[in-house]
Order: sequence, then C-alpha cells, then structure tokens
Amino acid sequence: MMRLPVLTRDKADTLLLVVAALLVIAPHFAHLPLWTSATVCVTLCWRALLTLRGRRLPPVWLLLPIALLAMAGVWHSYRTLLGRDPGVAMLALLLAFKLLEMHARRDLFVVLFLSFFLLLTNFFYSQTMLTALGMAVTLVVLLTAQLTFQYTGAVPPLTRRLRLAGKVALLATPLAALLFIGFPRIQGPLWGLPGDARSARTGISDTMAPGSMTNLALSEEVAFRVRFLDPAPPQNRLYWRGVVLSNYDGRTWTRIGGTPYRRNADGLTMGLGGRPIRHEITMEASERRYLFTLELTRPDLPVSGQRVATSDELETFTLRPLQERIRYRATAHSDYTLQADLDPALTGKWLQLPVGFNPLTRAMGARLRALAQERRGGTPEIVDAVLRLLREQHFEYTLAPALLGRDSVDEFLFRTRQGFCEHFAGSFVFLMRAAGVPARVVTGYQGGEFNPVDGYVTVRQSDAHAWAEVWIAGQGWRRVDPTAAVAPERINASLARALPAQAPFGLTGLLALQNDKDSWLSRLRFRLHAMNNAWNQWVLDYNPERQQNFLAELWDKIGTWRTPAAAFLLAALVWGGRRWRQARAADPVQAAYARLCRQLAGAGIVPAPGEGPHSLALRVRALPLPEERKAAYAEFLELYSALRYRALDDDERNRSAARLASLLR
Amino acid sequence: MARPALRKPERSAATVLTMRRVYVLPSRAGVAYVVLLVLMLVGAINYTLGLGFALTFFAGACAIVDMVLTVRNLAGLRLVAGRAPPVFAGEEAQFELHLHNDGKADRCAIRIGFHPPGTPWRMQAPHAADVAAGTSTAVALAVPAPRRGWLDAPPVRLTTRFPLGLFGAWSTWQPDLRVLVYPFPEQDAPPLPSRGDASAEGHGTVGLDNFAGIRSYQPGDPVRHLAWRQIARLHPSDGGQLVTKHFDGGAVAELLLDFADLPLQLDLELRLARMTQWVLQAEARALPYAFRLGHHHYPAALGDAHRAACLRALALYGQEGFA
Repeated sequence: MMRLPVLTRDKADTLLLVVAALLVIAPHFAHLPLWTSATVCVTLCWRALLTLRGRRLPPVWLLLPIALLAMAGVWHSYRTLLGRDPGVAMLALLLAFKLLEMHARRDLFVVLFLSFFLLLTNFFYSQTMLTALGMAVTLVVLLTAQLTFQYTGAVPPLTRRLRLAGKVALLATPLAALLFIGFPRIQGPLWGLPGDARSARTGISDTMAPGSMTNLALSEEVAFRVRFLDPAPPQNRLYWRGVVLSNYDGRTWTRIGGTPYRRNADGLTMGLGGRPIRHEITMEASERRYLFTLELTRPDLPVSGQRVATSDELETFTLRPLQERIRYRATAHSDYTLQADLDPALTGKWLQLPVGFNPLTRAMGARLRALAQERRGGTPEIVDAVLRLLREQHFEYTLAPALLGRDSVDEFLFRTRQGFCEHFAGSFVFLMRAAGVPARVVTGYQGGEFNPVDGYVTVRQSDAHAWAEVWIAGQGWRRVDPTAAVAPERINASLARALPAQAPFGLTGLLALQNDKDSWLSRLRFRLHAMNNAWNQWVLDYNPERQQNFLAELWDKIGTWRTPAAAFLLAALVWGGRRWRQARAADPVQAAYARLCRQLAGAGIVPAPGEGPHSLALRVRALPLPEERKAAYAEFLELYSALRYRALDDDERNRSAARLASLLR
Repeated sequence: MARPALRKPERSAATVLTMRRVYVLPSRAGVAYVVLLVLMLVGAINYTLGLGFALTFFAGACAIVDMVLTVRNLAGLRLVAGRAPPVFAGEEAQFELHLHNDGKADRCAIRIGFHPPGTPWRMQAPHAADVAAGTSTAVALAVPAPRRGWLDAPPVRLTTRFPLGLFGAWSTWQPDLRVLVYPFPEQDAPPLPSRGDASAEGHGTVGLDNFAGIRSYQPGDPVRHLAWRQIARLHPSDGGQLVTKHFDGGAVAELLLDFADLPLQLDLELRLARMTQWVLQAEARALPYAFRLGHHHYPAALGDAHRAACLRALALYGQEGFA
C-alpha cells in the first residue's frame, strides 16, 4: 500500500491553496477554450509538483514571457481582450500564474481575491442550484485556505480547519440572507452590456419555416412560468399568444413588419367578456421582445422597467430585448371578439399568396369556396370542411415528418400527410387564403405543465405551438387549431402524450414515463421543478420591484406592536436561560467565589493564579474599604477555605454555604 | 475624550481583556477586501446576477464574522504577570506572562510583545502564542537591562488577525511586574579583600596565604602586591602593563565585604560592581562573608538568601526604595 508522504506545513498549505484554485477554475473549463483549460491545468500541476519536490518557484524572466504568450493566446481566441469571455479566460490564467509567483503574505491575498472574483464570473454561465451548491463548497475550501495561513503556531488537522471555516460560513449565512433581502437593489446594467453578455437562446422567433417548431419541441428549456390568481382554465384553453405571421413566400412565414411601436393599439377593437383570468407570468430571458399572454389579453400590460407596445396583429412587445427574467401580470378573457368591425377591404394582406406555388392546394381552395357559395355557407363552413378533411384523411402528427419539396403544402396535404403543428397551421392558412378567407398563422405556446407542489404552470420550449386565425365578418378573428383536429390529445394533454411511443428507450419513451402523473419519477420531477422555480423567483430574480413588494408585505405582517414585544420577550428568555444555566452549572461555593472575585476586581484586586484565600485575605485587609465590608470579605474567605479544604459534615457544609452567599450582599 | 487606545494603561498584576479593551481595525488585506466586494457588487448589478449578489453579500458577511471572531480571539483572555527573576546589568531581563483562556474556544495566533511607549503600532520581537480552550500558556518576553535597580516591564501589546486576517484586533496591558537588576559584576576584579576579622585561631589574613598567580592591575590593588619582577620584564611598548600578585585566601578567617573599605576615588558604580563580583566569588568559593553597605549589615553567611539580600542592597544602593 502506498503511504501518503508526510508533508511539511508549508507544502500542505500551498497544496490546499492549489486545490482551492482548481475548484474555482474547474467550472469554467466548460466554456474556456481548450488550450486555456490545458494551460491552467498544466500550471497548477507544475505548482503542485514544485511544492511536493520542495523546489523553488520559477523566476520572473521565465514566467513573464509565458504569461504574455497566454495573453496573446486569449487575443487570438477571441480577437479581443475586452468583454466577458476573454476577461474570464484572462482571470483564470492570471490566477494559475499567480500561484507560481507567490512570495509574500500579500500574494496569498491576491490569489484569494482573484479566486473570489472568478467565482463570481462563473454565474455568467450558470446560476442553477447545483452551481450555488458548488460555490458554497468552494467557498468553504477557500476560507479554509485563508485561515490556514493565519496560524502562527501548530496548525490543527484539516478537518478542524474545515470545521472552523464551516463555522464562519454558517455564522455568515443569516447575515448574508438579511443583506440579500434588505440591501437596496439597483436594476442593472450600470453601463452597456458587452455584446457577448448573453448568448442566443432558443425560443419562438418571428419566422416559421418547416422544422423551426420541431427544433423547439426537443428543448426542455423553460420559456416561462405562470401563476394563476384565478382558477386556471382547462389545458386545452391554454393558448399563449405570441407572434402573428402573415407573409408567406412559399417556404417561410414572416411577420408584417413596420407597425410594431404603438403604445395603444388603436387599430384594435376588442370585445372582452366572460370570466377574467388573472395570471402572473415569469418569463425567462429570451433575447427577443415578445411577451406571451394567455389568449386573449388586453395588450397594455404594465411591465416594470420596460416599455410595452402592441402591433395591429395584437402582438405584445417590449422595446428592448428581454435580457433578464421579467415578471408581469395580465388578465385574460375566455370570451372575446377581435377586430370584428374590420373593413373587409383591408383584409387583403391576409389573402396574399406567393405566385406559382402549390397549384393543387390553390385549386382545392377554389373548389371549397365554390362549394361554400353553392351551399350559401360562409367562412365557418369552409373551416369546418377543412378540419373534417384533416380529421378523416389519416393525417399523422409526428416530430419526424418526411422532407418536403418546393410545393410543400401540396406535398403535405396530398402526399406525405405527416407533419408537426407548423405544417398543419401553415397549410391550413394557405388553404384558407386559397379559399378567399383572410387567415394568418399565430405562434406561441400551448399548454404547460401544472406543478401540484407549488401551483405554477411551467411552459417549456417544447410547448411551442402554431395555430391559425381566420377572420369572419362580424365575428372578427377566430382561433382555429388544425393540429387539434388531427391530434386532439396534443391540445388536451401535452406534447409527450400526443406523440406515439416509438421506442421504449427513446426520447418519447422517456417523455411518456415522465408524463405519467403518478409515477415516482413525475413526483420527483415536480418537486425538483418547484424547487427550481422557487430558486428562480427568490434568488435569481429578486429585482428591485420584487424586493419592494416583499419588504412591504413583510412590514405589513410584522410591523405591529407584537413584533417588538415578541423580540423583547425572546431576548429576555434567552438572557434568563443563560443566567439560569450558569447558576446551575457552577458549584454554589465556586459561584459565590466567582462573585467575590468580580467584586474584588472592582476594587482592584485580581487573584493571581494559585493564590489561596489566605493571601487574598491579606491583600483585602490592605484595601481602603469600610471596615464591615472588609470583615465580611475576611469571613467569606475563611469560610471559603474551610469549605474547600477542611473536612466538614453535610449539615455544617450547607450552613457555611448559605452564610457564604449571604455575606456578599 | 482621550482615545482609549492611546491612553496609558493602568498597571495590574492580572487583568482580563474585556470587550471594551479590545480594539479592531481592518488590516491592509481587509481594505483590499472591501475594494473587492465593491467590484463584485458592481459586477452583480451590471449583469443582474442573482447569485452574484448572494456571493457578494456572503463574502461581506464572512468579513463581519471574521471581525467578531478576531475580537473574540482576544477578548476574555486573562493575563497574569508571572515571575521576573533578577538579572545582572547588561543581560536581558525576562518577564514571564501567563495567558489564560477560560473560554470554550481555542485562541490561536496571538502575537504578544512589548511595545515601547509612544510607538503604538510597533512591537518588539513579538512572540506568537496559541491558547487552547481551558488552558494557559506562558510566554517570556525579554527586555535589555542596561542599568542596576528596578526595571519595570514596558506595556504589553497583544494583537491577532485570526481567523481570516482581514481585521487586526489589539489590546494593551501594563503588567505590574518589575525586575531587579543587579550591578554588573566587575570583570577581573581584585581578589577578595585582605582585611577581615581574624578568626579565633588567627591563621593569617584572608587572601594572603597562598600565592595563586598574577593578573593585570586593577585600580585599588595594594601597591605592595604589584609584581615588580614581571612588570620589569616587559617594556610598555611591548604591551607591558602593571600586574598584581594574586593570592588565595585561607579558609579560616571570616570574610568581610565592606563597601566603605573601597577607595573613595573609585567611581560609585565601579565600587558596586566590585562588591558584586566579590559576593559572587565568595559564593562560588563557599567562603562565608559578612556584608556591609550603608546601613545594611549582614553577618557572615552563605547561600542564596544571603546572596540575594546582598545583591539587592547593591542593586538598589542610592536609589529610591533603598532601605
């Protein structure tokens, strides 16, 4: 068996510091360039080896060129030295090199402080609970390293030092929590964020091409979370409206640009009725400007720190891209009309079709229109006919549809008949327009997962959905979801249930297991999600507004006379308890002696170690005190020495002790 | 109000460093730490890092905890003056101090040292001490003792930066402790004085019985003891000097060391130094000696107590407290 070499104190301390630095840098390996990680590792190993062998540190003339070379490497990797990522890379390299250049106590603190800062930069990339846990562990190790260097005599074993560092951390936690809750928050940024501050995220975009929704469907990333303040509507009514796409070029659906910035949607006439459904949405940073709300919500949402605008298509925007999580409240109405009074002459932009695409579908649209006119039916009849067609013609809802060629709608409707919501919605709108019905595609999310633990509904990217809206004279825009006609379970439950189980161990199999509400996995998942949500709401997203609300709420709760009274009572109890314990703990004779010592200390006499009562009595005699006081002290000391050193029977002992206590008053 | 840290501390043989007597300031590392915290806070605000705030506040809270722990590392420490054995002038006086930890937590890395008055931040050759819970530690602090007489212990300063080094706590104590500094014993002193009361048997005088060699001349040596033959042999240009014959005394006579017998033209300190040396020699050779200095008259005796009494009289001769 190999035995660990016994390290001298210096070596052990340095190795601890190297380990702490490694813990600090390790999370950064995930996003640092490979060569940087390698350089850092090699440098740390070098340092460890030098320490173990007891060699001297490399001289500056060797280190400086290496450090400069590394800086050049950073520039080569990022083409800049400014900004977040190159900054982090440089800090990591700096920390590693600094460990090779430690000579004085000051250098130790430089290393420690660099480590602290590098720990902070880690949160650019991840702020999950797991990261926080890792941070806490790393911090305790850092504190251990820091206090290890403070010992001047014998250094206790590592476990004792870890315990002391843990004690510091534990004592600091309530204070840190108080600061976290109470310290006035300032909404960042203080200056413009560097360009790379946030990386691109997945999410609903303002175009829809075949495959765009499918990509989202595979992402478990959370889009937003919703808390319903009123009873939540059923799953199949949870349409989260986002972006309206009206232009089609044969392949891609796009928005009508040009009219987004309007504070009040004058072009919108809305009739809202039915039960109001108030809900609060916490949206993840999307890097885009769309706000999603339950259909149908009045567009003038108050969002703190953001200006909100509305387009003529009833899309809700912020003027700045959403770079952090935001929270807003909205009120939806289940019964609504939208632009019922729109002049039919103005609906031309929702009838536009690209020329020369999808002749079969165009012909079919024309037939549908003729048929409807023949039967004196209107738009609803055409919609019904198409939905019936979709239901009856064995269309298949799948994440892996066949590839489509140039006339994609034709191919989808008449040949492959396999598709995802974007295929259904896009083809349906195409067909409607071919039949002369103003129609458009609406993208957003549908459904969401209700978490029974905390009551939040989580809407993920995989809930991204596309549906259609058709305009009916006198009724305005009506939502039509062709996907629901083909795969009603997609709308009634959620995506995972709607997809047929393909392979037991494949993605869908796993999704199915997750989705079984009663499986242990589901319950565990719900708990985890609730924890994650609480984490987001309380730690990551604790912004000035939330702080204000929380503090106001807290003040409402505790700002009565009861709080100080309770605090006073508690303090009194603690004080009394301590006194009681002290009195109980000590031998009454010893306690009396301690009291005497306190009184004598007031008069300027402190017993020397090993000083007996007799010598103390001699010194007391010389004190400038009233005679009866001195006599009392003398008697006390005599009694005390008798109690301590003479053999007394119990009765005598008790009497003496009582007398002893009375003498000091 | 006078700044308590700079007020002259009161003398005491034992004291407890109460909270009110322990002062604390951030160390240089602590100041740098504050700068770091501000940087971290700015970073957290700018990038709206929820966990960044958490880390910053946690780091700040750790510093505050460190401050409290640093103060508590000193506060409650009981200091007791220990022994301070007499020394000869020119040696280093050793003051023993006991640090008692009556608390439940270990106290580590306490630096203790004398600090000369007027230099509140300096400490002379501080010692580092650890005091485990419920135990005590003794340290001996040294101070040069250049002059005979009483030497008071300078004020003692205790500092600590434990556990994290971000704060320095300190306290001062003036121990009621002094060292008796005996006169420096004269080197190459003349032999024990020849004059003494002859004993009843009358076997000659002390110091003249046996020729014991020669040594260099010391002022006050009797002229008749000069070793003329040796002096004549060496010319002064060859490094020649006056030498004196040196006799070993017979053991029978009682030896009297009388300060008044020393030539008055000699410097007072030199006379005291010679007396000191004679006391030491008499002790070393176990010759009972009587001692007479001013109104101190000690009958002939031997032993530590006698020696201490004589040396004490020599140390304090002509000084305040000389009795």
